[in-house]
Amino acid sequence: MRIIGRRLLLYVLTAWVAISVNFLLPHLMPGNPIQTLIGKLQGQVTPQEIEAIRLSFGGGIDKGLLSQYFTYIDQLFHGNLGVSITLSSPVSTILKASVPWTIGLIGVSTLLSFLIGTVSGALLGWTRGSRLDALIPTATFFQAIPYFFLATVMLLIFGSNLHWFPVLGAYSQNLHPGWTWPFVASAFRYAELPVVSIVLSSVAGWMLGMRNMMITVAAEDFVLMSVAMGLSKRKVIMTAARNAVLPSIANLSLAIGLVVSGALLVELVFNYPGVGDLLLNAVQNEDYPLIQGIFLVITLAVLAANLLADVVYLALDPRTRTETVA
Amino acid sequence: MDETRTKNRILDLRNFSVDYGWGDGAVRAVDNVTMHVDRSTVVGIAGESGSGKSTLIYGFTRLLRAPGVIAGGEALFNLSDASASEGNFINLVTATESEMRRVRWSNISIVLQSALSALNPVLRVRAQFDQVLKTHRPHMSKSQRRDRTIELLALVGLNEDRLRRYPHELSGGQRQRVMIALALTLNPSLVVMDEPTTALDVVTQREIIGKLAELRSQFGFAMIFITHDLSLLVELADEIVVMYAGTVVERAPAQTLYDSPRHPYTLGLLSSFPPMHGARTELTGIPGSPPDLSDMPGGCRFHPRCPYAMERCARETPPLAQVTNESRSVACWLHAGDEDAAVPVELRRVGVERHPPLGAENAEGET
Ligand SMILES: Nc1ncnc2c1ncn2[C@@H]1O[C@H](COP(=O)(O)OP(=O)(O)O)[C@@H](O)[C@H]1O
Ligand SMILES: [Mg+2]
Repeated sequence: MRIIGRRLLLYVLTAWVAISVNFLLPHLMPGNPIQTLIGKLQGQVTPQEIEAIRLSFGGGIDKGLLSQYFTYIDQLFHGNLGVSITLSSPVSTILKASVPWTIGLIGVSTLLSFLIGTVSGALLGWTRGSRLDALIPTATFFQAIPYFFLATVMLLIFGSNLHWFPVLGAYSQNLHPGWTWPFVASAFRYAELPVVSIVLSSVAGWMLGMRNMMITVAAEDFVLMSVAMGLSKRKVIMTAARNAVLPSIANLSLAIGLVVSGALLVELVFNYPGVGDLLLNAVQNEDYPLIQGIFLVITLAVLAANLLADVVYLALDPRTRTETVA
Repeated sequence: MDETRTKNRILDLRNFSVDYGWGDGAVRAVDNVTMHVDRSTVVGIAGESGSGKSTLIYGFTRLLRAPGVIAGGEALFNLSDASASEGNFINLVTATESEMRRVRWSNISIVLQSALSALNPVLRVRAQFDQVLKTHRPHMSKSQRRDRTIELLALVGLNEDRLRRYPHELSGGQRQRVMIALALTLNPSLVVMDEPTTALDVVTQREIIGKLAELRSQFGFAMIFITHDLSLLVELADEIVVMYAGTVVERAPAQTLYDSPRHPYTLGLLSSFPPMHGARTELTGIPGSPPDLSDMPGGCRFHPRCPYAMERCARETPPLAQVTNESRSVACWLHAGDEDAAVPVELRRVGVERHPPLGAENAEGET
């Protein structure tokens, strides 16, 4: 428990640093982009909106940086991320509409990829040298193709030509978003192709990692002993897999960061209404409040996922909880 | 019925061979080994590292991993218990996987050199026992399993508060004790120990050996005890088998072998270790190193390193033959036939000068 507490503290610290950097970013831009923005918006938006923008950057450029910083943090804790310049609505509202899509899509595909890769890797490692090994070049092939290309080709073939999957968007435009069965079913249908494309392009890493670990662990004495103890074959394989999966779980936290940055590409290709799509627009339009809000959400999501992976790892490997040594 | 298959025989290895690799790439790591273990006896296997001791036991327990394969021979194991009127033998070499699973741990258990690597790192001590008991004693209740585990831990001198520990939270000696307790869980008739004390310090080593001797007399299991330290075996073993380059070069009752080795290699091994009791003497050891399996010398495998090698040794391989009028065997041309005069004095006489306090005087040396 104490270890988890310490990790938590570390993550809170990291989050604080990320928030601070996020605050400083527009201030460090050459030529004071905030001032430029406000100038650009004069006449287009109401004075209240301009005030909101000021607030979101820390209460106005005329005050000191430190006081701006405190205002920024205070606003943050009240859920005020400012107002998007291009979309003219609060950043928090915009994020609420797009973040769930990204987390759903990326979370589901990462988990699926991890599960499929780990299970198949464990089997491949155990039956090393069998015909199953043919899976490896197939999986590596999909990983080697640039994701953008793979996704576009899949979209064209299975979506536009064969019409096996619906394309473009996250749900049917005839439905109203909400927790209704037709809407959820439609969301799943629309997610299929992007999920398959992500899994295809990322499963090889998990598979190879697990396979190699499985081969290493299978050579360990305790696996031999579990055979000598007369345990069933299934138990023996589970003994090996249970120990072999540990590095993969440690890698999971690393992978999550990469996956989130990959989300941009996925959402671009499939026109998926997540933060990736949003971020691209925000950057193109120099919409700083929105950019900051997205960065913040991404950072916090990655940190949370890391914390989760850490806790799982601690739960699975007693050697990492060495405090209890007698 | 075959006369060697008496009811008191536990294990009978006949011309047992193990190869690593197949076809042209194969090397023979265990070559034509014939030996046996009787009920409730301790057979020690000694030999330098690389002489094939581990390969032999992984071989007959069917635990070899690729590229290891049994290349020939039989491994007859007696499944009947001590009260049975006759033996019930199964050939482990040809047994099916499900037959093997019934033999494993119930009849033959194994203790390896490093308990840290032999215990599953992610399971608590209690769970390690549980998985054995759940597999072989499915009718036991949770509390029965717990009681049995506590009883076993007590046998090896561990308190029940170790139940909740993970292997990495125990000391080396405690881990090996857990491993020994685990090996006794199902009251096997044969416990195989592959250098169980090599990784431990001398004091712990002594404690464990003492414990093993005690447990063995209490439960009467037979034991194969592998070590490269011959002096350790003298105290524990009834019989000692000396291996060199995959073959048995000498076999004799423990004390006899210790006092009057007949094979030059055994003599060399004995001089490599200080006696456990008595004065320290100079350790001469054996010059050179064991042969490469893929480049085995012709004739006697030991001849390139043997101080007594004769011309014949390079040409002909000496068979493991019984020494005239003695219950021991040796594979060495020095002891062939009646040319007793040719036997060097060190290999004939009782080793009184080397190990004074050990062993009763014995007249064989004078022949
Ligand atoms: N997996 C393997 N592949 C090839 N050769 C092996 C393998 N394992 C052991 N050997 C060889 O078999 C011989 C006997 O090894 P081993 O049984 O471990 O000896 P010991 O237990 O007496 O030290 C050694 O020469 C070793 O190099
Ligand atoms: Mg060995």
